[in-house]
Amino acid sequence: MSEPLFTMRGLCVDVPGRRLLDGVDLTLPRGQVVALIGHNGSGKSTLLKTLARQIAFSAGEVRFAGRGLTDWAARDFARALAFMPQNTPPAEGMTVRELVALGRYPWHGALGRFGRDDHAAVQAALDECAITPLSERLVDTLSGGERQRAWLAMMVAQEAGTLLLDEPISALDIAHQVEVLSLVRRMCHEQNRSAVVVLHEVNMAARFCDHVVALKGGRLALQGSPADLMRPEALAQVYGLPMQVLRCENGTPVAIPA
Amino acid sequence: MKSLLIIAASAMLALALWYAAALAIVPGPWPVPPFDPSAMGLDEILLAFGHMPRGVIALLAGAALGLSGALLQAVLRNPVADPTTLGISSGAQLALVMATIHAPGLLDQGRWPVAMAGAGAAAALVMAIGARRAFAPVTMVIAGMLVAMTASAIATAVTLARGEYLLSLVIWNGGSLVQQDWSGVGKLSLVLLICAAGAAVLARPLRVLSLGAAGATALGMNVGLVRFAVLVLAVVLAATVSAELGLIGFVGLAAPALARSLGARSVEQVLALAPLLGALILSVCDGLVLTVAGLSGEMFPTGALTGLIGGPLLLWLLMRLRGSTPPGTEAAEGLAPRIARPGRALLGLTALLLALALLLVWIGRLPQGWAVLDWPSFRAFLPLRLPRLVAAAAAGALLALSGAILQRMTANPLASPEVMGVAGGASIGYAATLFLFAAPGNGLRMIGTMLGGALALALVASYARRRDMPPERVLLAGIAVSSMAAALLSAVMATGSAQSWQVLAWLSGSSSTVGWGQAVLLCLLALVLLALALRAARWLAILPLGAEVSLALGLPLDRARLGLIALAGLATGAATLLVGPVSFVGLMAPHLARRIGFARASDQVLGAVLLGAILMTAADFGARMAGFPYELPLGLFASLLGAPWLIWLMMRTRR
Repeated sequence: MSEPLFTMRGLCVDVPGRRLLDGVDLTLPRGQVVALIGHNGSGKSTLLKTLARQIAFSAGEVRFAGRGLTDWAARDFARALAFMPQNTPPAEGMTVRELVALGRYPWHGALGRFGRDDHAAVQAALDECAITPLSERLVDTLSGGERQRAWLAMMVAQEAGTLLLDEPISALDIAHQVEVLSLVRRMCHEQNRSAVVVLHEVNMAARFCDHVVALKGGRLALQGSPADLMRPEALAQVYGLPMQVLRCENGTPVAIPA
Repeated sequence: MKSLLIIAASAMLALALWYAAALAIVPGPWPVPPFDPSAMGLDEILLAFGHMPRGVIALLAGAALGLSGALLQAVLRNPVADPTTLGISSGAQLALVMATIHAPGLLDQGRWPVAMAGAGAAAALVMAIGARRAFAPVTMVIAGMLVAMTASAIATAVTLARGEYLLSLVIWNGGSLVQQDWSGVGKLSLVLLICAAGAAVLARPLRVLSLGAAGATALGMNVGLVRFAVLVLAVVLAATVSAELGLIGFVGLAAPALARSLGARSVEQVLALAPLLGALILSVCDGLVLTVAGLSGEMFPTGALTGLIGGPLLLWLLMRLRGSTPPGTEAAEGLAPRIARPGRALLGLTALLLALALLLVWIGRLPQGWAVLDWPSFRAFLPLRLPRLVAAAAAGALLALSGAILQRMTANPLASPEVMGVAGGASIGYAATLFLFAAPGNGLRMIGTMLGGALALALVASYARRRDMPPERVLLAGIAVSSMAAALLSAVMATGSAQSWQVLAWLSGSSSTVGWGQAVLLCLLALVLLALALRAARWLAILPLGAEVSLALGLPLDRARLGLIALAGLATGAATLLVGPVSFVGLMAPHLARRIGFARASDQVLGAVLLGAILMTAADFGARMAGFPYELPLGLFASLLGAPWLIWLMMRTRR
């Protein structure tokens, strides 16, 4: 349990003509919900995709669960880590149950039998994300929040200990934002999973996450607890904009532009 | 400065090539205007009424096409638009072919009105499709190139159905700059002058329009009117060139692109520079053709040469095209149904296929009318008809299989072997086999064709691996490969060698020569490839969700793609050998299967294969009967079935 989830040393990601991540040194803790925040183009999505092995890094070193990121075999990696892209693709003609069952691919492979374990895992995932009543519906007919829950269920069925989510709430209304993030938080805290979530909304990050990492211009700007983030100086540093922090009646801090 | 040098150098090159060809005709003192034929020798007449107007008309036509392309690109805000890619030139060609065959009287008034009508109709069709997709550049060009493919297929079919075996006439249809007098020059320069004046007037509104329609409307501009006026100019220019010279592809695409890469930024600069560059491009091309023709004594249409440039150019432009597409506009359509018991439906389709095959063996057409065979003649005909029916069904199944794989792999409902250049590559492979081996047998031809198909698909797919490449661009890359293949084939045809006749026979070929051996071979291949595809059903289920999800699930993406590409390439190559390079079965069958409600990967593949077999069996029957007693090429007839379907597909609004 002492092993950190991710360790990065001097991580750089380049695209032709531009450096997206510039020498990031970072250690992400296990068993927590980690928020990745930052302004547009700060490199937060790039970092997440690098950790998910969706894009290759050009320099530095990344270790996931004690092993070099590139040393993992594709199947083992998918059994250990699940990734949800920012825009979940349309699942043409697929029912929710079929979508969730795709999460079993890393376990049964292209030709293996879809066995009892697989069925059980799919059902458990549907239950955990509370979409069993929707399981025979077509994914494309679901509302935004329901669809996001279906994709989360697919990640659960993958039985991976680590979830990487790229802006999972950006297209949702506020009620569904709370619903989805609560689910992610519950999935981590109750089932001992770890999650790294890219978020735009700093207040949501502070409310639902245990640990916050802020990027700015491809470099690490700040990391710490939500309380460390919710200070006017820290927020001003991250967003380059004067911010003020208000207190709600129950003591929750709320950040707004000053 | 550098750009001026380039322009000057290419102008010198064009002039030198033309001058060298002119010296070859008349070395001595040249006739001077005004020309008087009665006082001149044959060579001097050739020079004054053939070569000189040819040089001038190359400049004029190039300028007209360059201007037309620049106008289209400006008004559609689409860097890959031009009269060829939007199907306008092909529309004009189709109208001319139809008029030549069915109503020669119409041409008494000159070819121009007919060409104009065809070009206008094609442009209207493509614009109507584009309007439903917010004029998204790539969608427009896909629609345009499909309209162009369809138009040329119809033109070919119409020619063949008359029993006038003049396929070469259609393939060659124009693109030749040969002139007999100065009248073409006169007409073209008049049209060019008027349209240039119109373009000058419209330059400023076009500049405002470059902000986008919403912005221009906000500035108080009548966007619809300006668009319409510009389109009319562009269509008139393209149609005039088509009427005078035939199909000269891609000059309108190349000229504005070149103008921009030489530093022209504003709409006005591009509009001014593009005609100049177009003139130079066509002159240089024609000069090269003249030089080659002078050496080999063969007539090679200049349009075929510009066609060869078009494919690579389009690919290059596509790499640089980015960010110009409003999100969501390139997506396809609404929800397809999903049936509860796909197994029953599959059984039903199988029964339908068998019944259809039986029925089509049984009935036939006689000079007096239709006939149902009695038992003795049924037994006599069976060995003749059954192999070709089996072969046609297998070919349809193979194409459909390939289409289903490609559509699932790219998550693109418009993907298909025909559209993605596999068929084009297969035809190049066929031609290459003919040239590389002395007398290739059927097996060798089949291998060559399959290799060609797989290679073309690999090319397009390697292109697809670029991360920022949306599926629509991949389709366009495939279309570019197809057009390159078509140009290459017409170049092969122009050599007039023994092989070129074999290619011609294959292009117009039908299933009539198929024997049992080939039919059984195709059938076995279809079954083996189908079995392989079904083994890969899990990949086919995950791949439509895109590369990100596939990677996240630990799918061996490269291996899966490569394997499926090889599968699709082999299937298409084998089928193309029989059907020829055109047909839309690979596009229609998987789509139809999806529309019927086969949602899961394995169901869709099976359904598509059955539907493909049914479609091709029906097409084979139609090809035999429609032009009776002449046979139409099987693939051509299939594409005539597919064309309305495809247009309908693209016209549909999203729900």
